[in-house]
Amino acid sequence: MPCENYKNALIEAAASGTEPQAALRMHLAACAACRAAFEQEQSFFNSIDAGLHVSANPEVPTSLLPRVRARLDDASAPRRIWAANWLVLASAAAIIVCLFVARVVWRPNIVRKPAETAGKTSGPPMVTLSPHNPTPVVAPPLGKESDLPRQFVIVRNATAREALVIGKTMPEVLVPSDQDILLTEYAAQWRLHKRGPLLLAQNSDVTILSPLQVAPIQIAELDVRLLADEKSQ
Amino acid sequence: MQELVLIQPSGTAHDELARDAAQADARREFEERLAECGPLAYRVARGVLRNTADAEDVAQEALLRAYRRFDRLRDRARFRGWLVRIAFRIALDRLRSAKRRAQRDTLWSEPAHQPRVATAEDLAASAEFQEHLERALAELPEKFRIVLLLAAMEGHTVEEVAALLGIPVGTVKSRLFFGKKQLAEKLRCHVKTTKTR
Repeated sequence: MPCENYKNALIEAAASGTEPQAALRMHLAACAACRAAFEQEQSFFNSIDAGLHVSANPEVPTSLLPRVRARLDDASAPRRIWAANWLVLASAAAIIVCLFVARVVWRPNIVRKPAETAGKTSGPPMVTLSPHNPTPVVAPPLGKESDLPRQFVIVRNATAREALVIGKTMPEVLVPSDQDILLTEYAAQWRLHKRGPLLLAQNSDVTILSPLQVAPIQIAELDVRLLADEKSQ
Repeated sequence: MQELVLIQPSGTAHDELARDAAQADARREFEERLAECGPLAYRVARGVLRNTADAEDVAQEALLRAYRRFDRLRDRARFRGWLVRIAFRIALDRLRSAKRRAQRDTLWSEPAHQPRVATAEDLAASAEFQEHLERALAELPEKFRIVLLLAAMEGHTVEEVAALLGIPVGTVKSRLFFGKKQLAEKLRCHVKTTKTR
């Protein structure tokens, strides 16, 4: 059993691994119990050092470095794949943004378009009257290349009509001469109610419209007689 | 007369080539250190985790992380210490996972399989001593543990440990002393426990 006064000093000297101080050295020389305890402590700390050495220097697995190298190779590859993915995603995002911007910029046109298309579809077909051709001809519908709204064109002059037909700017409907008044009437009514523009091919050839003259209805006065009088007669 | 046109690579391609070259240089430089420092990382991890498989995983992770951040390391001479700290941190993180801690606590509280030993010397001679030592080491504060491990590792001197950890030599000596003392106390308690059984 070591002396209580020197117990801690013994342990600290053994733990530090250095030579004990002069006072402790003198005591150890005189006290056999403390000397034995000191030797035991030194042995104990040597065992700890040996254990620490074993614990701190294990055998390194041979597979460690090849595996690390393999992971380093992998670490480079996914980086590029990630970069490629990033580029693809960035491109997709840019395209989406461009589409969105284009949609916002062209929105007014898109809003206006339905009105135009409605006017085209709901409006009456263009009619061309020709006194030289008695057979009514219905021209094909407007092609996509034509952006003009549908209008009535009444053409009596053959030259003007031919110019229109050759130019193919408008389709035509040719009607017999006895029906042109009705058509002009219809055109006048459509113009009043639909507020559509009436394009006249030539001022000199425009048909002068005159309202229909309808005679007033004449109703004869009714002769009302009683049934009794009629029976008596 | 034919006109010769020098076609230079585009800026992006040039940058890519330069980046690839820099990456290859960094890889070569890292490979040079890998053979020397790989075992160090493993040993640090093994000292903390006391498990070969986990230590290998952690060493790989530490080396990979070091490779990814290699360009951030300005002073390449400090690579060893830098790697030691990375490996130590990763090993500690892994050790702190609740599952492993629970397993370790369970093992620690199961002394039934431990044989009786008469003295510390006898204990040291046995494999159990090593086991107890490692468990006691795991219970030490981190700052003591890493210093004890590094001092015992690969014959590092106190100065080398100080350089690895970036702390003063006096601090290393102090931590070595108090760490060993705490380790001895823990082991002594265990010796007494086994003696009384």
